[in-house]
This record gives sequence, C-alpha cells and structure tokens, in this order.
Amino acid sequence: MGPTDDHQWSQRHLSHYVEGDLSHRARRRLDRHARDCVDCGRGLRAMRALVYTIQGLDGLAGVRAPATIFDRVRLAGAGGPAAAQNA
Amino acid sequence: MPPEETGAAEATEAGLLARAQAGDIGAFEQLSGSYADRLFMLLLRLLGDRDEAADVAQEVMLRAWQGITRFQGRSSYFTWLYRIAVNEANRALAKRGRRPPSVPIGPQALDLPTSPAEDPARQAENSELRMALARALADLPPPLRTAIVLRDVEGLSTQEAAEIVGVRQAAFKSRLHQARLQIRAAIGDDALATAGG
Repeated sequence: MGPTDDHQWSQRHLSHYVEGDLSHRARRRLDRHARDCVDCGRGLRAMRALVYTIQGLDGLAGVRAPATIFDRVRLAGAGGPAAAQNA
Repeated sequence: MPPEETGAAEATEAGLLARAQAGDIGAFEQLSGSYADRLFMLLLRLLGDRDEAADVAQEVMLRAWQGITRFQGRSSYFTWLYRIAVNEANRALAKRGRRPPSVPIGPQALDLPTSPAEDPARQAENSELRMALARALADLPPPLRTAIVLRDVEGLSTQEAAEIVGVRQAAFKSRLHQARLQIRAAIGDDALATAGG
C-alpha cells in the first residue's frame, strides 16, 4: 500500500474515524497518515467540526406542532381506527 | 428520568396504546401528542417548509390512527411514528418533485433569537456556517438527508435511526458517512475547521 492509497482511503474514512467505526488497526493507519498529510489532518479537523456543529444546532428547540395536527384524525376517526381506514 | 418515572411513563404509554387500539381517539391524541412537537420538528428539517410540514404532520397522524391496530410493539411507539413520518416526508418530496428550499436547522432560518451571550463576530460566523449547513443539507438526496437529520441533528442512536428508515445498521451508516462527506465537500474544510476553532 503506497501513500496515494493511504491518502484516498483516509479521505473516504474521515467520518468513520469520527464516528468510532474503524478498527484499532484502521484507526492507527489513518492517524499515521494524517500526521504527515496536511490535507487529511485538516480534513479530520473539519469532519470533527462538522459533526460537532450539526449536533449542537438547536434552533428548532422552541418550535411547537400546530394545533391542527389531529384535525384529519378527528374528521376521519369517529368510528375508531378501522372506520378511519375505510373512510 | 429516574427508573420509577420511566416505568410509570411506559405503563401510561401501554395503557394509552391499548385504549387507542380499542378506538379511543382521546387516548390516541394523548399518546401521539406527546411526540407531536418532535415529529413536527423532524418534518420541518426534512421538508424545509412550515406549511408543508404542517400538512404532512396531519397526514402522519391520520396514517398512525388508521394503522394503530396493526402496531404490535416490536419497536417503540415513537420509532413507529417516526417511521411513518419519514415515509410521508419522502412521499411528499417525491410527489412535489422538488428538493426543500432550505432546511431550517438554525435560529436565523426560523427567525428565532440567538443567544445574547454570543459575541457579534462569533454570532455572524456561526450564522454563516448554519446557513451553509442548511443549504448543504437541502442539496442532499432525501435518503442521505434523512440519515444525517436522524443521527446527527436529532441525536438518535444508529439502531433507532436504522429502524426508522427500515434498513440495516451498516446500510444506514453508509448513508450517514456519504452525507457527511458531501456536506464537507460543499462547505469546505477551511470554513469548517475555522468554525471548529
């Protein structure tokens, strides 16, 4: 396996690394390569930041479901679920 | 939640489920209503449009009500409801033949206030990144967007998320990794690494 193989393989497995989906051996392979490769080192930091940022987004935390959410159920469901299915 | 409260909640849920399956619409509303806000947020994230999400949310509840006698408890009620929501969101996207205009994952996209403690420069930087993330998420094909929304945004476990989507965990992980790689490519390493500090 040459450096080019290692580079392409590392680029494809950055998310696996962050997710903890790599075996110990595969993790060491990526660690070793990223230590010497500027692109992969930056890629790893970027992938960590991406996951961290997405996980930290809570902009919808205060959003409430509309009060109309059961309107169709009420319209269809007077006779129970079976009747609603046949409606 | 302490164990005794978890047990009580499960008992309540089981009781409501039994009553709903027997045709008690009030019990169904109580049972499903406890997940309504989360479900609506999920639809907003998948569809990116408030009116459409509200419409699909009504459809999800109707489908759940129609199918509740077939729910056998092999998964949690929440997982079952979420699965219906993902299917309905995909159906809506396919029917309308378009991608969501934006995925409102940040406060700016929904006109929600940002934290006053955040300094303005940082706020602007984060706002830009959120907008870029929203665009990148919106551009993903629906299966990849669903994977990243369920796992990274909603914070569900891989097992739960895979169950909701109806695929094996390995297949789900593959979608998640693809989604992250595509978002990374769309936003660029420099912007992400800067935001990460």
